[in-house]
Amino acid sequence: MPLMRRLLLTLIGLLLAGSIGWSGLQRPEEISILMPAPFADATVDQVKQFNADHSGRIVLNVIRGPRDTESISDLAISSLLLGTPPFDALLVDVTWLPKYVAADWLQPLDPWFDDADVDALVAGARLGNSVNGDLYRWPFGADVGLLYWRKDLMPEPPRTASDLIQIASRLRADGKVKEGFVWQGRQYEGLSCNFVEFLSAFGGTWLDPVTGQPELDSKAARATVHWMQQLIREGTSPLAVSNYAEPETLQAFKAGDAALMRNWPYAWAELQSDSSAVKGRVGVTTMVAEPGASPAATLGSWGFSLLRGSQHQQATAEAIRALTSSQAQRDRFLQQGYTPTEASLFEDPELLEASPVLTQLKEALAIAVPRPITPLYAQMSDLLQRQLSGVLTEKRDPDQAMEQLQGATITLLRSAGGES
Amino acid sequence: MNWLLALPALLLIALVFGWPMLRYGWLSLHASSVLTGLEPVPNQGANWARLLEDPRFWQDALQTLRFGVVSVGLEMVLAFAIALLLDQRWRGRGVVRALTLLPWALPTTMMALGWRWIFNTPYGPLEQLAQAAGLSPLNLLSNPDWTWFAAVMADVWKTTPFVTLLLLAGLQTIPDDLYSAFRLEGGKTRQAITAITLPLLTPYILISLLFRTAQAAGVFDLIQVLTGGGPAGSTESIAQYAYLNAMRFLDFGYSSTVMLAGFLLLSLVIATAALLLQMSRLLRPLKS
Amino acid sequence: MLKLSALGKRFGTRWILRDLNLEVQTGECVALLGPSGCGKSTALRLIAGLEQPDEGNIELEGRPLLGIPAERRRIGMVFQSYALFPHLSVRDNLDLGLKVRGMAPADRRERIDAVLNTIQLVNEADRRPQQLSGGQRQRVALGRALLRNPSVYLLDEPMSNLDAQLRDELRPELRRLILQGPQPVLYVTHDQQEAMALANRIAVLRNGRIEQIGTPQELYFKPETEFVAGFVGRPQINWLNQTRDTRVGIRPEHLHPDDNGCRCRVIGREWLGASQLLLLESNAGQLQMLCSADYQPTEHLGVSWSPEDEHHFDPISGQRLNPS
Repeated sequence: MPLMRRLLLTLIGLLLAGSIGWSGLQRPEEISILMPAPFADATVDQVKQFNADHSGRIVLNVIRGPRDTESISDLAISSLLLGTPPFDALLVDVTWLPKYVAADWLQPLDPWFDDADVDALVAGARLGNSVNGDLYRWPFGADVGLLYWRKDLMPEPPRTASDLIQIASRLRADGKVKEGFVWQGRQYEGLSCNFVEFLSAFGGTWLDPVTGQPELDSKAARATVHWMQQLIREGTSPLAVSNYAEPETLQAFKAGDAALMRNWPYAWAELQSDSSAVKGRVGVTTMVAEPGASPAATLGSWGFSLLRGSQHQQATAEAIRALTSSQAQRDRFLQQGYTPTEASLFEDPELLEASPVLTQLKEALAIAVPRPITPLYAQMSDLLQRQLSGVLTEKRDPDQAMEQLQGATITLLRSAGGES
Repeated sequence: MNWLLALPALLLIALVFGWPMLRYGWLSLHASSVLTGLEPVPNQGANWARLLEDPRFWQDALQTLRFGVVSVGLEMVLAFAIALLLDQRWRGRGVVRALTLLPWALPTTMMALGWRWIFNTPYGPLEQLAQAAGLSPLNLLSNPDWTWFAAVMADVWKTTPFVTLLLLAGLQTIPDDLYSAFRLEGGKTRQAITAITLPLLTPYILISLLFRTAQAAGVFDLIQVLTGGGPAGSTESIAQYAYLNAMRFLDFGYSSTVMLAGFLLLSLVIATAALLLQMSRLLRPLKS
Repeated sequence: MLKLSALGKRFGTRWILRDLNLEVQTGECVALLGPSGCGKSTALRLIAGLEQPDEGNIELEGRPLLGIPAERRRIGMVFQSYALFPHLSVRDNLDLGLKVRGMAPADRRERIDAVLNTIQLVNEADRRPQQLSGGQRQRVALGRALLRNPSVYLLDEPMSNLDAQLRDELRPELRRLILQGPQPVLYVTHDQQEAMALANRIAVLRNGRIEQIGTPQELYFKPETEFVAGFVGRPQINWLNQTRDTRVGIRPEHLHPDDNGCRCRVIGREWLGASQLLLLESNAGQLQMLCSADYQPTEHLGVSWSPEDEHHFDPISGQRLNPS
């Protein structure tokens, strides 16, 4: 029965393809790209422009997906699993890429984007686009973790982990501010993003870059988790951060209730809005690091990926290029505040004038660090979140947690090594 | 002959229920993940062996059970009390009846977001109340020992109306004359609840229990939005674990195993409950 | 003796029952007769204590009942629906009240066995109500009332859920079980035939007020109001075309053929066995007549009656005009 059906479907497909082929000489190619709602809204003008430029040849439709990262992931994966998704390309989060490549859903972009294109990108934007040497993703915007600080409360932002605690404690003791440092401690992906930055501050790494082995029970990793625990124990951060995602964090900082905040670049525009209690009193810098360790900024960012099953690869690649052109990046930065990916734009006088934090963004992008690039990243991150959440809520001892985490991560990666 | 009449219904059940179960069963005997390129490869029951030794699955099973027992229990008691109240005649009852149903009409994700806001520290209304009362922050969503109860509260708020509605329908089938007769026989109002209301409401209670237990056993969106399974995995449910495995890890073999095992456990719970009930019925004549 | 004085009950501003004065003597059965919605069931519920009156008094054996809660009034009530507990067997239905009142198990058993015997349901003791026939259910309800050993019986339409044949069968049963006892019985019904057959006296109720109280004979021969005349007696009374300032009624059984009488044409007939009911058209309007002779439709005949059988009423107040 499945064979019969497959034959039948193939037959219908051939007939359709034939008829389209005949009339395709006149009819424009229709292509679709799935994007989370905010990105879809930010590209409306560029899509209009593209369709005008390619009138009669290509019609680009944007499928406006849900807003939330998890929901858009569910939607994308469900459609991909069904075999013939109704779109040719989609925006993917940086952590999804290896998984999608392993599932064989994506088509390399190398034929359309060459080394010169990659070299033109700002440092942070070059990361997380390739798997096994093939380019599978072209960045839509740059996104990295930042440290926001209150200019009215301190002359300079803290530069080391111990500085951070000291400054925060003094401010709280003086009654200048309610909370010291707010960040994302909820059991979800954001916690892993925060951890990557904190870990780097103590000189550690999640996976050893050479051996690919986890380094989660290293001295640096243990020190990191002790420090995170200390943040809450000593009151630098409220216990509530163990359930904070980005919105809660921003809410506290925007209300003027916190001296320091870890968040993404989008927060800047929010903090400068009229509803912000700290408008004009906020500085942006990179995460702290202990002496001898290098600070890091976790790489976020979305990018376009082309589907292997697309019937319109050439047209779709053209659309991706148009939506990520210099002009598009410039417009989006000026209108919606999306950080550009092209290095030269960070020197652009008009952009520099429009935003006082572009320089800091570039600095952060220069120290961008991707999360481990493996198809098993989601599992690894899930293991990490559970243990860290346990430590932050005093359910687990930091050393035991990291020991267990190291063991579980090794087992996970070994299972992959054994079976693949 | 009679079973022939039930055939269409049986076929429908087999189609919408049996087929996915068979599919899960089959997948649970295969490795099907990013490591196999999503192709199912037979793996000799390795998924089931892994499940038996997966402390997280058993922890989630217990957490799901705890969530289900407590929230369904609270819902039944609350709903029964509210249904009794709504069954009386009083001014404005119609409006209150309609209002009571409101939480049920709200989409789960929306109401979960609402509750996340209510529990928010320090800006949520609950914390504001605690502050006004001079308490230290409750941090209900940051407490691995008690966060599950926040989920229970939200669930009770949302689904009590549904149970109330079922029980109210049941209450309205009990003729007033029975209560009058019972009073004349010398019974107090309080006694009437155990002597008349509860026994006559039993079928409705059982139906609500079945519905709600099955729903609670599959709890997903509420917890996903409210706590994401945290802190420290203390609120994760079986359905969430199955979802994680499928939609985040792309490990469909193990996800099917978790799903199916969860379903088998639920069947076991319901079968045990049914058996206990049957036994208590058989024992009843001996008691009086 | 049960005594109701100026009893009244209203829902909101509407009086369901007003100015009800009634005495039921020891050993007497009084029927409350009236169409549905006339307030007769409300009267029972007030006496039982299931509802509180807005005015008036109730006395039982000389003691006021108001203020005593329903469960302590010693009322034997039979509901129209029987109000049997569907989840309990016949025995448990009977047992419930005794148990609630804390009687010892052995005593309970003995009394229930006796009642089961009386109501002849010994073999059905373990059945549930839905496994019984309508008549059996009624007997359980009676049995439950008997067990209370009450000071007064209140029967609310106890026959209305039964078919005609069963009613005839159960009447003697009802007499044997309840009516022969010394307790006053208040019997609510909308069926005048049942009231006539069972009650010593009948109180006709209309819109919450008593129209007339009397023996069945008094109601039949000397209805005090136009309403009572129309409600009591089957076939229904004939109303003659109004010629004077009086409403004149004559019962079908009081008409007889008379060649010198009023000229009529037969337009329909019902065969009743011993007699037939003729539907006649005349100058006085349409008349019903009971007679033993055989007439066919379209036949003409003369009809007359004796003036003392006429009932005269004031057309406005509805009160009786002619003396007895």
